[in-house]
Amino acid sequence: MYELLLAGIANILQLKYLLPLFVGTLVGVIGGALPGVTIALTIIVVLPFTFGLDPLQGLAAMTGVYVGGSAGGLITACLLGIPGTPSAIATTFDGFPMARNGEPGRAMWLGIWASFFGGLLGGVFLIGATAPLAAIALEFGPWEFFSLFVFALSMVAGLTGASLTKGLLSGAIGLVITVMGNDPVMGAARLTLGIGFLEGGIPFLPVLIGVFAFAQIMTDIEKMRAIGTVGIAERIPTLVVSQLRVIGEIFSRPFLLLWTSFIGLLVGVLPAIGGSAANMMAYDQAKKLSRHPERFGTGTPEGIIASESANNANVGGSLVTIMAFGIPGDIVTAVMLGAMTIHGIQSGPLFISQQPKLAYGIFAAYLVAHVLMVIIIAFSARPMLRLTTVPKSMLIPIVLVLCVIGAYSLNNTMSIVYVLLVFGVMGYALVKFGFPLAPLILGVVLGDQIEINMIRAIMTDSDPWLFFTRPISGGLLAASVVSVAFALWQHHRQRKRGAPADGDTDF
Amino acid sequence: MKRFLAAIAAAALLTSLTAFAAYPERPIKMIVPWAAGGDTDNIFRPFAPQFQKHVGQTVVIANVGGASGTKGAKEAKESPPDGYTLYSVHEYIHSTYYTGVADVNYTDFEPICLISSTPSVLTASPKTPWKDWKALLEDAKKRPGQITVGATLGSTSHFFPALVEKAAGIKFKYVSYEGLAPRMNAILGGHIDLTDSNLTQKGKVEAGQLRFIAIATEKRNAEIPNVPTLKELGVNVVYDVNRGLLAPKGTPADVLAKLESACAAAAKEPAFAEALKKQGTAARYLGRKEYSQWLKKNDDLNKTLAKDLGLLKR
Amino acid sequence: MGRDGIAGLVCLAASLGLLAATRGLPDASLLVPVGPGFYPRIVLGITAALSALLVATDIWSRRRRTPVAAEPPIPANYLLVVLAFAIVGLYVALLPFVGYRLATFGFVAALQVTLEPPRNWKGWLAVAATAFLTTIVTYFVFERYLSVLLPRGRWTDF
Repeated sequence: MYELLLAGIANILQLKYLLPLFVGTLVGVIGGALPGVTIALTIIVVLPFTFGLDPLQGLAAMTGVYVGGSAGGLITACLLGIPGTPSAIATTFDGFPMARNGEPGRAMWLGIWASFFGGLLGGVFLIGATAPLAAIALEFGPWEFFSLFVFALSMVAGLTGASLTKGLLSGAIGLVITVMGNDPVMGAARLTLGIGFLEGGIPFLPVLIGVFAFAQIMTDIEKMRAIGTVGIAERIPTLVVSQLRVIGEIFSRPFLLLWTSFIGLLVGVLPAIGGSAANMMAYDQAKKLSRHPERFGTGTPEGIIASESANNANVGGSLVTIMAFGIPGDIVTAVMLGAMTIHGIQSGPLFISQQPKLAYGIFAAYLVAHVLMVIIIAFSARPMLRLTTVPKSMLIPIVLVLCVIGAYSLNNTMSIVYVLLVFGVMGYALVKFGFPLAPLILGVVLGDQIEINMIRAIMTDSDPWLFFTRPISGGLLAASVVSVAFALWQHHRQRKRGAPADGDTDF
Repeated sequence: MKRFLAAIAAAALLTSLTAFAAYPERPIKMIVPWAAGGDTDNIFRPFAPQFQKHVGQTVVIANVGGASGTKGAKEAKESPPDGYTLYSVHEYIHSTYYTGVADVNYTDFEPICLISSTPSVLTASPKTPWKDWKALLEDAKKRPGQITVGATLGSTSHFFPALVEKAAGIKFKYVSYEGLAPRMNAILGGHIDLTDSNLTQKGKVEAGQLRFIAIATEKRNAEIPNVPTLKELGVNVVYDVNRGLLAPKGTPADVLAKLESACAAAAKEPAFAEALKKQGTAARYLGRKEYSQWLKKNDDLNKTLAKDLGLLKR
Repeated sequence: MGRDGIAGLVCLAASLGLLAATRGLPDASLLVPVGPGFYPRIVLGITAALSALLVATDIWSRRRRTPVAAEPPIPANYLLVVLAFAIVGLYVALLPFVGYRLATFGFVAALQVTLEPPRNWKGWLAVAATAFLTTIVTYFVFERYLSVLLPRGRWTDF
């Protein structure tokens, strides 16, 4: 197996393959870094450019975008506090505070190396453990998926520092957003409030962009003229840090790195969850397992490591699922799969044995893309940093324009932009009322899947007790209850200590 | 650099100010009402670049999935009839209308062309005990309404097994799995027993992960010579999924003519034929007029089917 | 009643309103054993319960503790936020009518001026240049290279 991998790496290092891989990774990093441009959009945009290439060239470029995009989100997440992609949401929680505390270089390089090592761990796992992991995912029926999503949501709802009730309520509001429009089974209109375009349901992307970007930008604007002058150009912070120290920081927490990478990988293997859930679940885990959970959200390195290692390991996991089963987990992997099909590759259980050269070529591209990603971010760190020294009054309109385009380009209609605006107002209001935004986003991501899997379960067997009596499903539901109970206990303990646990901007 | 950019910008403003060019003067959007990576997407993705070559403008595929494909249908219907929004369909446009899933009818659109035809294959999970149709039939008679079928409700993957049900005098239980990809996941894991699939799943059958029970064609397919046709098993069902392009009602005739000729040329491209073959699909071209007649006939047929199957809602 | 109480009441009202709106939804059909209103009712029930809990804890904790004087660190400039939202709203509203290029130019310029009024002609020049470059670069990148068909003005056809 490892001879095949070495041959694959030797193959991919030829200029013929290295060039598309490099360009793909570069475009991925840029796309990942730009708020409002998701990996999905970037990969969709890159797809047509690969049509003229040979299959491995094309797939190398796509793999590069995926890897680069998953890492690129950390640049804006750390430096601007806006996740460049959904998979960098949790990176903002600690990356941005750390950058604000005057250590942007440390925040970014922690993210980069965590992405790198998380990704490589994901790659080792991808190559070594494809078959057994796939077998686990296959055992998941609608009951198990339902319970898994409920578990994911309840875990993230407990992630907020302020109040468990608000966390849960925020997640539930996310679920309400997904029920508006139409039902996912028969498409019957429901709760459209008489608005025509709502009949198509509320898409996830404008909600994400709206809620996050506006909440961030408007809280910035709040503080602008009030201070007298614009609150920028404090000093030009440096990104130069001791690489050895940063890598040392990561390796001094080997268990954290392994565990969060494992979560990312597992979430990637399971279809339909995707990177946007992986980083938040990993962050939550890191916080729960930490001896200093109260430091999370203030710029602790653990938060960055957890989020970034998980989202890049997640790429490895998703690749397992599409390569072994031909089942896409989310939009990004769906496009990857489409690209494979366009290039005449029948992905599925026979793929690796019948086309080892191609399969190991993709594995190799995945590994090499991580090296390229580090190099690219290292060299583009300076221009990226300029983003933070540009006056906010100049940057804000540009970011907003990109947000509008990002929403609009989802399917080239204005109605999505209106959705964006509505959720922008809502996101800002929620932050002002002290609601955490992450559970809401997770609720929006998982809502449809929770409903459809629940209905599938009922349609397959009318016995509702199966949710509890099927071992994996029952176990996951029990774990959700434990997770909420644990969060409750933690809040209680915190309050007893008298720590004021209330913050306006814990998003 | 800045001066260079400014010069480009000025030039761009000038060119975009010039008067209307002939259609098409800007990119064309092709709505695929299902997710990327699905069957329809896999057929229209390789079609788009060929179509683009002959229509002389960029063609962008927009995947507007959801609610049995009716989300995309609604969007296509509401798009301006200027030839810049096209809509990729198959029989679901008739079946979802008559089963009451959608309000969009085929008469809301102008036909452009039909491009492909994909035969349906009745496919079983490897976790089921049935080796062939006979065993399935016996079991189904013993346990009416208990064998689960994954289907996009009201769409072709629902109609096909429903036809088999009726022809064989058995009863299935349907579970909503929209699109081929989630259906495959469920059937590989044994969470559903049966589903409608097609030749693209041949690899999984050879790996022992799926079982083809029977194909719904007149004659056996050369790609899978061991799979019997439903007809030879005494189940009189022939079913295939035909995909074509439509434009919103009211699109000008000259635009339609231009689109039709581009489609005809694109459908003949060898690269597209090659891509279709990989999809287990036959090329089937019908021009505007023939497609229009075919749609009408097919609409009646689907109405009858829906009525026969007890699914007719209007 | 505090901040949480108000938020809770708003959510409670919204949940109950939406819950009432699910009344007309069709029942289970032959094909699907649960109707389209089944799951929304569960979710809305949960939001209603959580909102009520939020209101209750707010009132309860207030009765127990005398409220500590809140400390506003920086007086937030809400007027500017409202203005910014209004400008974004206007931009989005005008987009389909005046077209992407004109609307974006106007938006970028207007928001910049609102956020930080230029003090001299250099400032105004910077505003104009930013607006122009943003418009042109995004237009080129997206419309020409990325095939995102940006909105064209219904009034201006530009």
